[in-house]
Amino acid sequence: MIRDRLREVSGQIIAIAVALILGAIIILLVGESPVRVLTTLLRGAFGDQEKIAGTLLQTTPILICGIAACIGLRGGMFNVGIEGQLFLGGFAAAWVGFAFALPPGIHMLAALALAVAAGAAWVAIPAYFRARYNTNEVVSTILSNYVAVLLTSYFTIFLFKRPGGWSETPPILATAYLPELFSFSRLNWGLVIGLVLALGAALVFRYTSWGYGVTMVGSAPKFAEYGGVNVKRQGFVVLLLSGAVGGLAGGIETLGVHHRFMEGFAPGFGFDGLIAALLANGSPVATIFTALFFGALRSGSLLLEVDTSASREIITVIQALIILSVSAQVLVRRRGDSQAGERRWKF
Amino acid sequence: MVSNAGSPTLHMKAEMAVALTGITKRFGAFVANDGIDLAVRRGEIHAIIGENGAGKTTLMNILFGLLQPDEGSIRLNGEETVVTDPAVAIKAGLGMVHQHFKLVPSLSVADNVFLGMEIRRHGMIDHAAQIARTRELSKRFGLQVDPTERVGLLSVGIEQRIEILKVLVRGARTIILDEPTAVLTPQESRELFQTLRSFVAEGMTVIFISHHLEEVMEVSDTVTVLRNGKKVATRPTAELNKDELVRMMVGREVSFDRRPRTPSRGDVVLDVKELWARDDRRLPALRDVSFAVRSGEVVGIAGVAGNGQTELAEVLSGLRPASHGSARLKGRDLATLSPREIREAGLAHVPGDRMVRGVDRNASIAANMLMGRQHRAPWSSSGVLNWTAISQNASRLIKDFDIRAQGPGDAVKRLSGGNIQKVVLAREFTNGADFLLIDQPTRGVDIGAQEAIHDEIMRQRAAGRAILLISVQLDELAALADRILVMFNGRIMGEVAGDGADEDRIGMMMAGVAAPERAAEPA
Repeated sequence: MIRDRLREVSGQIIAIAVALILGAIIILLVGESPVRVLTTLLRGAFGDQEKIAGTLLQTTPILICGIAACIGLRGGMFNVGIEGQLFLGGFAAAWVGFAFALPPGIHMLAALALAVAAGAAWVAIPAYFRARYNTNEVVSTILSNYVAVLLTSYFTIFLFKRPGGWSETPPILATAYLPELFSFSRLNWGLVIGLVLALGAALVFRYTSWGYGVTMVGSAPKFAEYGGVNVKRQGFVVLLLSGAVGGLAGGIETLGVHHRFMEGFAPGFGFDGLIAALLANGSPVATIFTALFFGALRSGSLLLEVDTSASREIITVIQALIILSVSAQVLVRRRGDSQAGERRWKF
Repeated sequence: MVSNAGSPTLHMKAEMAVALTGITKRFGAFVANDGIDLAVRRGEIHAIIGENGAGKTTLMNILFGLLQPDEGSIRLNGEETVVTDPAVAIKAGLGMVHQHFKLVPSLSVADNVFLGMEIRRHGMIDHAAQIARTRELSKRFGLQVDPTERVGLLSVGIEQRIEILKVLVRGARTIILDEPTAVLTPQESRELFQTLRSFVAEGMTVIFISHHLEEVMEVSDTVTVLRNGKKVATRPTAELNKDELVRMMVGREVSFDRRPRTPSRGDVVLDVKELWARDDRRLPALRDVSFAVRSGEVVGIAGVAGNGQTELAEVLSGLRPASHGSARLKGRDLATLSPREIREAGLAHVPGDRMVRGVDRNASIAANMLMGRQHRAPWSSSGVLNWTAISQNASRLIKDFDIRAQGPGDAVKRLSGGNIQKVVLAREFTNGADFLLIDQPTRGVDIGAQEAIHDEIMRQRAAGRAILLISVQLDELAALADRILVMFNGRIMGEVAGDGADEDRIGMMMAGVAAPERAAEPA
């Protein structure tokens, strides 16, 4: 058991190492020193307390989106629509924030609640088609992203645009703000929510009857069905929960960081979260670390353009390499498994 | 058998399209093929028949280069050949149509047929030529397809024709078909047989794997019977009847002694009346099945695999809907219950495909033993699992059922087949159910574990459980069952008492040859 765990983890580490080595080669090719890029990245991400706070600020939405992805992965559902759920959640929270006047605290909770509901409602469409017609949720959730991003743009530009401003909604009222943790950074309680959520999800999967059923649906659906778990319903519920957490991520971004919704709000966090979850093999606790890794890359890259001749896009390249090497590793493992399966069944 | 350079021998060899000698293949401790000799004459349809797990597919995979034998040699067209991979086999004129098709749904029929060996003209794919060639072959062998149609829009039966065309354009003269009729409707099967006959009419050779007696009798010239990885016999089909074939398939010798028992016949626990159900192809798989199982008795279901037993087990466990009729468990109509409710009403189920349905191979023994009871005390309270109790219970069951494992945290995939089955039995036999549905309890399990499993089933009988035992092994049924019902083609052909298990009569019913009067039951 421990040996299995080790083998899994070592696979992920090898994947990251391969990606970093390839990244180093590319940095050399563009005429920079990999060592200098790396130290600049580290300095940019962890150089002083403000930089650390900045890294954690970037980590928060990646972490929460990562947990959303983990919930789906556990139940065998690939929610690739977290980006869209994040945008809708972000808009929903902003709308509650600027359109209503409520007492402090309650206002914030109401905005977060609507963000959660918006994320869940948005994924309910692909989830329904999956449960009812066995439509591949990967395709339908990917497609729902584009609709969500454009729909929120439409809301922002045509229905709720701040008079005279950019393509953004009016600012939310201070009663809906998510409190900041420190005076020197916009880092807010969203990070704490994310950490609590990660631990909570891990506990639910490990220590509840429901979590056991979901895990079995994800890893051995026929066995779960045989054991009396309603596989279709659990798939639906899991997607809904995943979408709800995706919406929450958007709400936290709005209430904690931007204090309004604007076009191009929080781009790529949904996808980064999904990658963080995959790299963590669907474990919410491990996602804390992989999300931190991606958050550090993002915030470290800000200094990269200032201090080196490498472009910030080198980070995107390294991320892409990680995705490639992680998926290659997953494919290699799958192939090994399926061959074992053939051997087992083909006599 | 080895190289005798005399001319009569040479002549003999040239007649053989395929000759396998002493093929042995082991998977761990399991011997899938045990010293099998097989000679297939050119221009014949040679059927290889045997139960699931008899070693048919392994043997063909060895012939086609997908697996390497541990021992033995292969001659193709008289030439000693080491078939290192399928490319070697294809070059020697072999072609294989697998059970699972490998087609690209978005491409046309012709494009699929020529995939990887496209006809080119000026460096471009010559679609017109591919379509013409596909059409010509499909006419010649009665494989009706429209070469321009997209594969994704076609039925499974037509997909199989495309697979056969693929094999033909690659120049195959000897065609291996692995359970080709499993996915076909009866009408499509008849058309396939026509095609196979047109192959041999052109001097080609067909090797046909099946476990369906009727079609083997109908289409083949020669039959080779495999059982438990060994060859039983090769005989001309004309000299055989179905009854003999069944006996060769399921074996004559009774290796298990009948277990002693005290008569005990309690209340009816399971009551099945006029039950009908369809299989995955939407064809009737259960036809008007009626029987009852009382507490304290073991009712056996005998039959060649694929005659409705799987569907019966699925209907009784709520995994497949019945199309007509009823099944009642302690008076409750199963049609109105979900699989979970059926379990709660008193079903324990040892599934036939234990690796897929019976366990999560990657999970621990403890987690596997939790399935089906995760909502019940003491395993959980208010939805929170008590892993201490779960783990302790697993440790106890590992001891009680003599499961060879280090502990409850061991992953199930580390265990042997027999021990995995014991994990399933331990879980199902201890969940307090009154009705045990046991499907192929000892398939792929070593002798020692078989004995232990049989002991456990008899203990459950003595404890007053109602047991339905589905098995393709007659000797197992004869050892354990109080009554044996014989299934053929979805029907119950008849019933025999377990202690007077008359093999000839059961064999006849299994072959669907005759349906002797069902033993008159006292009113």
